[in-house]
Amino acid sequence: MNSSNIYYPLSGLINAFTSIILGLFVLSKNRSNIKHITYALFCLSIAVWSSFYFAWLVTDVEGVALFCSRGFMAGAIFIPCFYLHHIVTLLNLNVVKRRLIRLIYGFSFIALLANLTPDFVTGLTPRLSFKFWPIPGIIFNIFLPTWGFIAVYGAYLILKSYNNSIGVEKNRLRYVLIGTIIGWSGGATNYFLWYGISVPPFLNILVSVYIGIVAYAIVRHQLMDIEVIIKRTLVFAGLLASTFAIIVLPTLIIQEYLVGRAGFVVRLAGLTISGIFIIFAMQRIKDFLANVTDKFLFQKKYDYKELLKTFTSEVLTVLDLNKLVKTTVDKLSQIIKLDSCGILLFDENKGDYRLVASQGIKEKNIIMTPENTLVSFLSKTKTSLSTKLLEKGTKTPERIKEDMERLKFDLAIPLITIQGEMPGILTLGKKKSDEDYTQDDMDILLPLARTLAIAISNAQMFVELGETQAEAAQKDKMAVIGTLSAGINHEICNPLGIARGHCEAFLLNMKDGLYKDKTSEELIEKAQVIMGKVIHETDRATGITKRLSSFSKPSKDVVSEDVNIKHEIAEVLALVSYQMRLNKIDIVQDIGEDVPSIRADKKQIQQIFFNLIRNSAQAITERGKLTIRAKRVDGKVFVEIEDTGHGIPEDKIEQIFNPFYTTKEPGKGTGLGLFIVRQVVERNGGKISVKSKVGEGTTFLLEFPAAVKAKA
Amino acid sequence: MAGKKPRIVAIDDEADFISMLEDYFRLRGYEITTTSKAVHGIELISNNKPDVVILDLKMPGISGDEILGLLKSRQPKAKVIFITAFDDAGKTKARLLNAGAYAYLDKPVESLKKLEDVINAAYSGK
Repeated sequence: MNSSNIYYPLSGLINAFTSIILGLFVLSKNRSNIKHITYALFCLSIAVWSSFYFAWLVTDVEGVALFCSRGFMAGAIFIPCFYLHHIVTLLNLNVVKRRLIRLIYGFSFIALLANLTPDFVTGLTPRLSFKFWPIPGIIFNIFLPTWGFIAVYGAYLILKSYNNSIGVEKNRLRYVLIGTIIGWSGGATNYFLWYGISVPPFLNILVSVYIGIVAYAIVRHQLMDIEVIIKRTLVFAGLLASTFAIIVLPTLIIQEYLVGRAGFVVRLAGLTISGIFIIFAMQRIKDFLANVTDKFLFQKKYDYKELLKTFTSEVLTVLDLNKLVKTTVDKLSQIIKLDSCGILLFDENKGDYRLVASQGIKEKNIIMTPENTLVSFLSKTKTSLSTKLLEKGTKTPERIKEDMERLKFDLAIPLITIQGEMPGILTLGKKKSDEDYTQDDMDILLPLARTLAIAISNAQMFVELGETQAEAAQKDKMAVIGTLSAGINHEICNPLGIARGHCEAFLLNMKDGLYKDKTSEELIEKAQVIMGKVIHETDRATGITKRLSSFSKPSKDVVSEDVNIKHEIAEVLALVSYQMRLNKIDIVQDIGEDVPSIRADKKQIQQIFFNLIRNSAQAITERGKLTIRAKRVDGKVFVEIEDTGHGIPEDKIEQIFNPFYTTKEPGKGTGLGLFIVRQVVERNGGKISVKSKVGEGTTFLLEFPAAVKAKA
Repeated sequence: MAGKKPRIVAIDDEADFISMLEDYFRLRGYEITTTSKAVHGIELISNNKPDVVILDLKMPGISGDEILGLLKSRQPKAKVIFITAFDDAGKTKARLLNAGAYAYLDKPVESLKKLEDVINAAYSGK
C-alpha cells in the first residue's frame, strides 16, 4: 500500500463502523417502527459493502480481492433498495410507493444472484494505485444506472416533501436532503474507476457523513426524548475517533514519510509513539470531552431549573395582568432562547383573542376570533399544536399555516384553566438552536402553561375584583355616610342652632327692649359672652367637618408617619360615640399613657378603627359595652376592641375576613369591611386576629410594631 | 301677648342649647326649667306640671319617645314640642305627631321667634 491508498481502506472501515453503530442504535430505539427497521437495513447494506470494501483494499492476494469485491457488491446492490425504502417510510409514502419498492426489491435479488456470476464482476485490473479494481460485467452495466436512478428519485422525493413542509420539519428534511446529496456524491466517486475514468473514490468517507445526518434526522423525527442519548453517543464517537486518529496518524506519518516503505519494526515504533502520546494526552482529551459533554448535555437541565425557578418566583406571582404576560414572554424567550414568542388573551369585552405580549413577532395587532381555525382547534382539543404534529397529520389547513406564519410559532399551547376555559394562547417560535421541541420540553412547558393559565385567570380575577371592590367600596362609603349622618347631623346642626339661637336671642331681646334697663357695659359684656359661645359652637361644627373630610378622603399612597393610637381612636370616637351612646352602648377606653406611636398611615389607621368600632357597635343589638384597650408589650403595640355583642359562631369565624362575607341583612353590608380592614392592617405592617363567643361578644386584636423613635 | 305665659320644661342633652332657651324665654317672662339629663326630665315634669314640654328625640338614657309616652299617660294636658336634628324623611315626625306630639321642629330651629309662636299656640290652643 502506498500513502494515498491508506485513506481508502480507512474510509471503508470508518463507513462500516459508523453504519453498524448508528444502525444498531437507531434500531434499538424502536424495533417495531418501520422507519427504524428500514434505516437499520440500509445501514446493514452499507456495513456489508464497507467491510468487504476495507478487506478488498488491504489484501495482497488476488483471489481474496475478487471474493471481497463480489462481497462488497452484495452489500452495494441492496444499498439503493433499502435507501429508497427508508426514504419512502420516512416521508410516510410507504403505502403509495409499495409497488415500486417491491419492484426494486425484486430487482435487487436478481442483481444479487447475478453477482454470483462473472457477468457482474468480471475480474480485476490495476487502476491508478489500486492493484485489484473490479471490471464491470454486463449486468453491472444495467445495475449501475438503476442505482443512479434510485438515488436521484429518492432525492427528488425528499425535495418534494421539503417544499411542502414548514417549520422544524422543513429543517429536518433539509438535513436529510443535504445528507443525501453529500452521501451519494461521495459514494458515487467509487464508480469512475470501474470504467477507467481516473477519478479515485476520494469522497467515499462522505457516506459516513450521510449516515450520521440521516440517523440524526430520523431520531429527531421519531424519538424526541432520546436527544440526550444521541448527544452522548456522538461525544463517545468523538472520543473513539480521536483515539483512533491518534493511534493511526503518527504511525502512518512515520511509516510513510520518515522511514518510507518499512517493515514490522518501524510500524511497531510508530505504534509505540502513538501509545506514549495517548498515555499523556488521553486524560486531557477525556477531560475536554467530558467538559464538552457536560456543557452540551446538561446545559438544558440547568435551563429548565432556571425556567422553573424564574417562573415560580418571578412570573407567576405577578398579579398585574399586563406585567404577567410581558414577563412570561420575556423570560421564556430568554431562557429557552426563542426567535419569537407571544401570548394571546381573550378580551371579554370584544369577544376575541388579542396578541397582548410578543417578542420577535412583527405584526403587533393580531386579533383572532374564537371561530378562527387555530383558536377553535386549541380550545376544542385543549392540546398543543406543533409543526411536528401537523406534519404527521394529513394536511395542514392553509388558514392555520397562515396564522403560524403571522404568529411565527412552531408550538402553540392553549392556556386552559381548571374550569376548562381558555383565557389565552401561548405561542413559541423556533428555538435559536434550531432544535425541535422535544418531549423534555413538553414535560416542562405543558405544566408551565397550566400554571400560567391559573396565574392569568387569577390576575384577571384580581382586575375584576378590583372593579367590584371599587364598586363595593363606594357602597361601603355610602353605608358609612349612613352610619355617620345621624351623629354628624347632631354634631353640626346642634352647634349651629345654638350659635344662631344666642345671636337671635340677643337681637330680639334688644329689639323687644328687654335690655333697656342694662348699661352699655353690661350689654357689651353680654355680647362678649354670646360671641364666645358662638365661636365655641362654630369651632365644634368645623371640627366635625374637618374630621369627616379627612376621613372620607383616605390618601392613595401609604404615608408612613408616627401615629398616636390614642389620638386616632379619640378622633374616630368623636365621629361615632354620639350615635353609640344613643344606641345605649357604653364606651370604655383603657389606653395606657406609655403606648408608643406606630409607623403607619394615619388615615388608614383611622379607617381601621372606624370599621372595627362600627362593626362592634353593630354587633350590639341592645345595650352593651365597647371596650378599647391599647398596651405596649416589648416592641409592639396591641390594641383590643371588645364588644358585648352577639358574637360570631365558631364555624363562621374563619370566614369573616373573606371578601363579601357578611352576616348582615342584604343591603346593609357589603361584606368588604373586614376584608379591607385586614388588607389595610397588613399594608401598615400589622396583624389582625379575632376571638369570639356566641352570646358573649367578640374581640378584635390588632398588633403593630412600635415606631422606633428617632434619636435627636 | 297678654295673659298668663305657659310653663315650660325643656329637656335636651345639649347644655348650651337649653341655656340659650333659658336666656330667651326667661327674659320674656316665661317660667322655664331645663335639664340636659333626660332621666331628670321625668322628675322635672312631674314636679313642675308644665304646659309645654320641649323635647329632644335622641338622648342618652331615655329617648324622647319614651318621655312622650309617659306624658300622655300621666299628664295628657301637657303639649309636647320635639326639636331634633334627627331626620328620616319625615317618618319619625309623622309617627310622633300621631302619638300625640303637638309639633315637630328641626334643629337648628328656624328662629326663636317661631318657636315662641309655636309654644304660645300650643298653650292657647288648650
